[in-house]
Amino acid sequence: MIFREVEDRDLIAKARKGDVEAYNLLVSRWEKRVFNYLLRLVSNREDAMDVSQEAFLKAYQSLPKLDDPERFGSWLFRIAHNEAFSLLRRRKPEGEMPIERGTPGPGLLPIELSLAVEKALGRLTEEQREAVLLKVYQGFKFEEMAKILSCPVSTVKSRLYTALDLLKATLCEVNHEL
Amino acid sequence: MSCESYDWKAYALGELAANERREAETHAATCEGCRGELAHVRLTVDTLSALREEEVPRRIAFVSDKVFEPRWWEMFLKPSFAAALVLAAAIVMHGYLMRPAALDEAAIQAQVNQAVTRAVANVERQNAELNTKLTMFYVKQTGIKYQ
Repeated sequence: MIFREVEDRDLIAKARKGDVEAYNLLVSRWEKRVFNYLLRLVSNREDAMDVSQEAFLKAYQSLPKLDDPERFGSWLFRIAHNEAFSLLRRRKPEGEMPIERGTPGPGLLPIELSLAVEKALGRLTEEQREAVLLKVYQGFKFEEMAKILSCPVSTVKSRLYTALDLLKATLCEVNHEL
Repeated sequence: MSCESYDWKAYALGELAANERREAETHAATCEGCRGELAHVRLTVDTLSALREEEVPRRIAFVSDKVFEPRWWEMFLKPSFAAALVLAAAIVMHGYLMRPAALDEAAIQAQVNQAVTRAVANVERQNAELNTKLTMFYVKQTGIKYQ
């Protein structure tokens, strides 16, 4: 290979020295993943956008504390997790009512199936949903998830496995083969 | 091993080590119940992948802030700036040491005067010799003694 792609760790090293453009490039690599994770967690686009910005700002300010640049991804998601749950805790007093959209039938279009999955995820607790988001959509290992969530691997597996059982039951309504 | 000892969710989510995967696959090949359980887990995960990924509504970007910029004296600590400083000092030092010696105008004037005096004396000596030769020739030719 003639041209070597700039690695995240190179951008992190530059950003640590105050190179804002290097950090912006790093943000552009991760913003979609972080935004989608937060969107499914807080269930609101504006809130997800605000929390994403806050998470990236805190990550920039905390870059000197990042021990291992190779673990930037899980470290960033740890910050995003903290920001999201801070928002969710502030929201709690208002009460949350899950929005029922009706059960889609078989032979669904991709957009309908996507909405059905969104609804099924919405029925999970925040902890269960987050476990699914980090594993199924972000591809983190159990060990990484344990660090992001600050809990034992056994807790991660318990949340995830319960979530998958609940999703299987819920998604049976939209998929006859399930 | 019994069926309960196999973790099909971990298998479907890619969390098993290579040897554990092989062992689980060997068991599933001969156990219809475990194959069915694995199929259910896979179908659930596959269905979840139908969730659309959303685009970020607006780009997240930051601008340089004075708070994060290095202070003026910190630029002296940069290796590139220090190297440039050393190079500039070397050029100035070289120029100073290799400058031509200061000229002494009085000494030059004395040298010029000496050269002019020598040249004038030389010309006068040559003229005197020539006069002597011409006089001797004239006396020889005419026999008249030059007074």
